Amino acid sequence: MIKELAKYIFRFVILVLIQVLIFNNIQLSGYINPYIYILFILLLPFDTPGWLLLILGFLLGVSIDLFCDTMGMHTLATTLMAFLRPFVLNIIAPQDGYETGSNPRISFYGFTWFFRYAAILTVIHHFVLFYIEIFHFGGFFSTLFRVILSSVVTLFIIILSQFFVYRH
Amino acid sequence: MKELLRFLIRYHFALLFILLESIGITILIQNNTYHKASFVNFTHAISGNFSKRIDGIRDYFSLREENRQLINENNKLYNLVKSSVNISYIDQKIETESNLRLKYVYIPARVINNSTNKQFNYVILDKGKQDGIEPDMAVVCNDGIVGVIKEVSEHFSSAISFLNRNLQVSAKIKKSGHFGPLEWTGKGHQNARLKDIPHNIKIQLGDTIVTSGYSAIFPDSYMIGRISDFHVEGGNYYDITVELSADFKKIRNVQVIKNLFREEQEKLESLTQND
Repeated sequence: MIKELAKYIFRFVILVLIQVLIFNNIQLSGYINPYIYILFILLLPFDTPGWLLLILGFLLGVSIDLFCDTMGMHTLATTLMAFLRPFVLNIIAPQDGYETGSNPRISFYGFTWFFRYAAILTVIHHFVLFYIEIFHFGGFFSTLFRVILSSVVTLFIIILSQFFVYRH
Repeated sequence: MKELLRFLIRYHFALLFILLESIGITILIQNNTYHKASFVNFTHAISGNFSKRIDGIRDYFSLREENRQLINENNKLYNLVKSSVNISYIDQKIETESNLRLKYVYIPARVINNSTNKQFNYVILDKGKQDGIEPDMAVVCNDGIVGVIKEVSEHFSSAISFLNRNLQVSAKIKKSGHFGPLEWTGKGHQNARLKDIPHNIKIQLGDTIVTSGYSAIFPDSYMIGRISDFHVEGGNYYDITVELSADFKKIRNVQVIKNLFREEQEKLESLTQND
């Protein structure tokens, strides 16, 4: 149990650091800002209680906001994403439900399942984040373009990480 | 209490989400000037729109009063048409338009400053020399007379208010036609005193007092007020108190009246007096 807790705390810190130190400094043509730190929310166990999920999402958002100097934006997006995670999990649940003791990983439910799961939540997160940053719907499509491009890149990195870093 | 607790437990997920997002929005708006400005603009747009709608609804409720005022004004204008036209009798047989000569010109103006609490009150108007206003023109509003123009500048003019001890207007009782000088009592903004009416004529409370038309300033039969009190003073004359019909505390739109024949009339009068 303690070991599990330590693992998640470690993952939290590492993801925030990677995001802040590496990915925040990558500006691809001004359109693409990958936010891979949401992987933390994606990889939480199925039986994480709702309140913990929300609080973790909130804390994660606040941490990123503190480093990015974008007070509130990541907080809103990440909390919303944490809130929607149980619903998304319900929608894409396999026929016989989730097995106890399993984690939302490619190794348990396959690539297609994980891709759909990550894609839905990533797009939601990026959509909310980018529109809060702009804060109006003028130039709706140029922002949407940024959302889609950034989501693709984030998704690509997240899935890549599943094969190389979080292998069993 | 138990119900509330059950509610909180049942919906804790959604409630916690709402709480956290509210905190997030607060942080966002507090710390980002751009987002703060957008938010303030947005709320102002909503509240502005809302108050505009309320105003529109309120306008409907005052339509009756507004209609009444318009009808009154219309009636008054009908009455004015007759008295503001000087019919030439020289060539009565040929009835052409040139026989109807305009005697008075009305210039609309707005009151921009006004006092009622002094002994010598003045009204300042937003029209001046450029709009054709000259000294000694009459100032009236829809309800009654207001005063006489004293000074004019390019764009403004000042009028001696009727509430000024220096102003005396020739007035008559509409019913009988007897006339006398009318002046402000100096007390309140509603009372004037009409003098020199012989005590043998019959008057009643509520009789209408109008301008006599004997001065070259005010047109004939313009509303001034109604008799609110009278008694015989000394021996031969009434002391009549007149309640003014114009509310000097709220006059806003006035008309300045230009008498096109004033110079001619005054010249003739001075010739006669010099005899």
